[in-house]
Amino acid sequence: MSDYIKSSPYFFRIIKISFVALTLVLLLFAWFIPAPLQGPADISHVPNPSKSAWFLMWTQELVSYSSLMVYLILALGLVFILLPWLPVSPPAEEARWFGKDQKIVNLMTLFSFIGIVVLTVIAMYFRGENWSFVFGF
Amino acid sequence: MKRDDDFVKEFIKHLFPRVVLRGNLRLTYTFCLGGLAFTAFLILMTSGALMLFYYQPATHGAFESILYIENSVPGGWYIRNLHRLASNVFLILLFLHTLRVLLTGAYRKPRELNWLIGFGLLCLALFEAYTGYLLPMDQLALWATQTGMNLLGTLPFGELLRSFLVPDDVGQPMSLIRFYVMHIALIPLSMLVLCMLHFYQIRKQKGVLPYL
Repeated sequence: MSDYIKSSPYFFRIIKISFVALTLVLLLFAWFIPAPLQGPADISHVPNPSKSAWFLMWTQELVSYSSLMVYLILALGLVFILLPWLPVSPPAEEARWFGKDQKIVNLMTLFSFIGIVVLTVIAMYFRGENWSFVFGF
Repeated sequence: MKRDDDFVKEFIKHLFPRVVLRGNLRLTYTFCLGGLAFTAFLILMTSGALMLFYYQPATHGAFESILYIENSVPGGWYIRNLHRLASNVFLILLFLHTLRVLLTGAYRKPRELNWLIGFGLLCLALFEAYTGYLLPMDQLALWATQTGMNLLGTLPFGELLRSFLVPDDVGQPMSLIRFYVMHIALIPLSMLVLCMLHFYQIRKQKGVLPYL
């Protein structure tokens, strides 16, 4: 038991500090970053390109290559859900970043997450009329 | 009043483990990402609850009520800014928390149930953000939601799901009220329950590595 310490105060102190810090940061930045608001919804005025919410843009970008890409997204989601049951990593013995006993998972995770970020950036900044590639900064 | 305070304090204490491994409290292991995400969630619930006093979930009225919140309600523009900012930060924190859990192997057995709960929470958070996107009923809201629905249509059984979510058209009375009910009640309540289960699992798995 020598490696164990009581949650109160050690763990709770970290929780409290992170809670207060994030709350203050959000309260401060909310003062300066306005929530977007465009004109009233009008079904007769279709924007070109019509973009989804930022957190779904990576899927929109993927599906723009082929509608079959939706199955890639589903397959990837399924693989991640089932990860604990797949023979790619044994039960963990130590809390460690980039454990050598789960190399495949590390690679797959990095590839997927970097992919999501890159696709989101492309969709957000480099897609113009009719979803054509543009330098949009 | 003191007894109430004690009860809340004890309840919160019991959600968390009594002892933790010293090494797992180092900042570079978790970066407190899960706790930070939960903080953002609490801010979202608070700011969202305040906006409920003025928001009208009606096709002709939603946009005007947002303008009213922005221009006439004291501090309304600030609460709306806070809600929007917190929602973006919430999703980014969940994204990073998931990344951390995967790269530290914290999803592995015997913590597989908590991995499933967390994955469910991530999906619900995305759905919560999506349903909230429509509510202001501005051009951005309408067309982002419309595009999201088109994406949904490409999924297997997507059309079925779409016809449930949007029985009329995006932004029309029935779809708006469905998005509203899901956004302010069904999804956040489900998330709250799953969050409690998520924390309880951490407590229950005391001593299991990786821990947090």
